[in-house]
Amino acid sequence: MASISATAISIPTRPRHSLQAVNGIFGLKSVSISSLKRSFPSIRLQPTPMHFRVCCAAKPETVQKVCGIVKKQLALPEDTTITGESKFSALGADSLDTVEIVMGLEEAFDIGVEEESAQSISTVQDAADLIEKLVAAKSG
Amino acid sequence: MSWLLRRNMLPLHSNSLARRPLASPPPLLPAPLPSPRETHLWYVVPDQLKDASLLNQYMDLLSPCERQSVLRMNGERLQKGALLARALVRTTLARYTDCRVSPKSFKFRKNRFGKPEVEWNKYDLWAPPPLQFNISHTSTMIACGVALDLPIGVDIEEKQRKTRNNILSLARRYFSPVEVAYLRTLADLESQRHEFIRLWTLKEAYVKALGRGFSGAPFKDFTIRLEASNSKQVTGESKSDASRIVVEAVDHPGILMNRWHFALFELNNSHYAAVCMERDVKDPADRENNSLKLEVWRTLPFVEDECVTETAAVKNIIR
Repeated sequence: MASISATAISIPTRPRHSLQAVNGIFGLKSVSISSLKRSFPSIRLQPTPMHFRVCCAAKPETVQKVCGIVKKQLALPEDTTITGESKFSALGADSLDTVEIVMGLEEAFDIGVEEESAQSISTVQDAADLIEKLVAAKSG
Repeated sequence: MSWLLRRNMLPLHSNSLARRPLASPPPLLPAPLPSPRETHLWYVVPDQLKDASLLNQYMDLLSPCERQSVLRMNGERLQKGALLARALVRTTLARYTDCRVSPKSFKFRKNRFGKPEVEWNKYDLWAPPPLQFNISHTSTMIACGVALDLPIGVDIEEKQRKTRNNILSLARRYFSPVEVAYLRTLADLESQRHEFIRLWTLKEAYVKALGRGFSGAPFKDFTIRLEASNSKQVTGESKSDASRIVVEAVDHPGILMNRWHFALFELNNSHYAAVCMERDVKDPADRENNSLKLEVWRTLPFVEDECVTETAAVKNIIR
């Protein structure tokens, strides 16, 4: 499945799992990425500029609800940390996952999301902000 | 293992700029260029990667920017998948350069819609082949399609993929009316699910071949269906030799977009795969009824390559 190419500026995410350091020879069962970070010391996660939003950010409860829907759709392990900063592509969402997430959000919040708006969502926060905008427009 | 010794000699402070020398990887099996109307598909199965030192070799092929992207993925499984995807693209393309360009040397850029393409260096005595490529992945397979000169789109999906939403709800929301009508003719839910997945991969492959991004060709605006080669519409069953896959705009039904040809097949018994390739309209041989040719390799770069085209790994081909 293709991932949708994101055009939004990305906010760097902190590593979600504590990567276990592997000493000595790799066990054949676990092929570890974490040791590669030691092998390539020049790799650094470059900070990217924060994307400042003009509108108000969504309420934490909305973000939480979105996180729950995303976690369920992507069948992420219980201990996965998702926050508003999490990018759908970094969570392994492909295009079918993304449309399913949008449908899940529409159902949970009783809103309708336009295709163009759906394309502009690349993080959980984006989704939460859009939801609140649509909910407000509905009741306003 | 010699790679392990080199790793232990590595200075551990993070601001070291010294590049650790890595043994040059074993040579890649070169491949002859795809012929006209031909797609080469190379796929890797992540679970077949059992040798940890391979990850080091693959990581070494990537640009610093690609390495950062890999490490930004959430969790080791996704990071490994992202790493394999980049390694697959680089090693696959390198095979077509007659040993002139190493996997590490490739540079990429995005077209104005965000589709990745090769950025070739200037060579004095060699014209690089105009390689077109496209990549697709699931958690259990990564595939890279290559064609010469003409745009290509590839999409794969696990046959067993379940959707959280009802199939017809998804289809009504995202597919064209003709496609929804087709899915409704299928009596049992399992057939509906399989056909939905197959249609999804075809539609994805088309959009990716177009190269304009998901929003450049909204799924609802075009129909992909089977058509009998005598121009009468065939619904339901497919007879591979008698019918072909076509695409038409919802606004102009009956006017087929003949610039594109397709192949849909089962790969490795685990996945549906769709390929979409632009036709060469200048080539008199590339007429409507000449279908897309396919060559498929299973690979674990630097370890093994196996041509699986005529095997059970590639079956139920519809074009």
